[in-house]
Amino acid sequence: MIDEIQTVWIRYNLTERTIEHLQIFTIALLLAIAIGVATGLLLYRRRRYSPPVFSTLNAVQTFPDIALLILLIPLAGIGTVPTIIACVLYSILPIARNTYTGLISVSPELLEVGRAMGLVERDILIKIRFPLAFPMIAGGIRIAIVFTMGIVTLGGIFGAGGLGAPLQTGINLMRSDIIFVAGIWVGLLAVILDGIAGGIEAELKRRFGSW
Amino acid sequence: MVSLELLGTPILQHIILAYTALFASIALGIPLAILALYSRPLQRIVMVMANLMQAVPTFAVVAFVVPLIGIGFWPAIIAILLRALLPIIKNTWVGLSSLDPALIASAEGIGLSQWEIIRYVRLPNAYPAIFAGVKFAAILANSVAILTAMIGSGGLGTIVFEGLAGVNMMKMMSGALPAIGIALFLDTSFGWLEKRMVPPGTR
Repeated sequence: MIDEIQTVWIRYNLTERTIEHLQIFTIALLLAIAIGVATGLLLYRRRRYSPPVFSTLNAVQTFPDIALLILLIPLAGIGTVPTIIACVLYSILPIARNTYTGLISVSPELLEVGRAMGLVERDILIKIRFPLAFPMIAGGIRIAIVFTMGIVTLGGIFGAGGLGAPLQTGINLMRSDIIFVAGIWVGLLAVILDGIAGGIEAELKRRFGSW
Repeated sequence: MVSLELLGTPILQHIILAYTALFASIALGIPLAILALYSRPLQRIVMVMANLMQAVPTFAVVAFVVPLIGIGFWPAIIAILLRALLPIIKNTWVGLSSLDPALIASAEGIGLSQWEIIRYVRLPNAYPAIFAGVKFAAILANSVAILTAMIGSGGLGTIVFEGLAGVNMMKMMSGALPAIGIALFLDTSFGWLEKRMVPPGTR
């Protein structure tokens, strides 16, 4: 059993594939967090744009992931870049929406207290609204982690490498050993990452959360 | 572009695939969530499974089906079902269980039986959550139904993957665009249905 796993692991370069997979995942997630939080913040500042932006992002999110990757081929070809773009497109919505909701749903009493202490709007945003929005933002990032993990794996079909590539090989060759080793490994990675994100979310909730 | 007549069958196959799986997961998920309300061990198993499974990439779920069940239409249905079941169970359970205890107490107070409480109090109050779950599951099913062409389900995915293998952009697009159209149609029609079906008092 262990011998078989080792054979498949070495034969299909699963160490390199894992590194590839996590690299794409990290880049995509960091980009999504940066763009998502920025979008949430911008929409908080310009609230009348939030309905059209959120409904557009919502529509993008309903697209089947493979269809989105195909729409990206004329723009970005195949491989790592379009996979990262697709991950970001899917992940902006949960992060931006949660950032926006977290920023606007701070209780009025707390804002009142802030103003009474002489904080200007900018300080209120940085010192009161943002910290209180942390648990919500973390919740959005956790959803984004699941999306990103899913799409990076799918990227294997579109030449992005990662752990989706051995899965595809396994399906094409109908080799259950490859499917089990690569599939269980990528599933385990996803569950672990989700668990870590869940832990961070719970900790932030404990520290900043009044919800 | 693949001609329209050639697209008809794959579109139909795609819809049958996605909807069979969706209805099966509704028929399985909602009763399971109701049962979980009355059995602590079941509740724990269902919720842990639902949370863990949701994190596993779809592609891995589809791949697992091959050695475990095989390839073709029914294995594909199982793969889609495994994906669509989770949001339905989770949302139904959350909707049913996060009810104001006072409502349950007053329902018991006026002498409703357990079944009547589920039927007339818990379920109507859970409709918005259940609806959100079903909508999410429908969109997910539409998405997974393309991927399952890899394991021989037929449908729009077959065109997509043939296009991909032959680097034929037109072919890829004629598989992808109808799927996007179906997704947008699902999204709007569910929004419309939700407005009509959710009882006014529970919004």
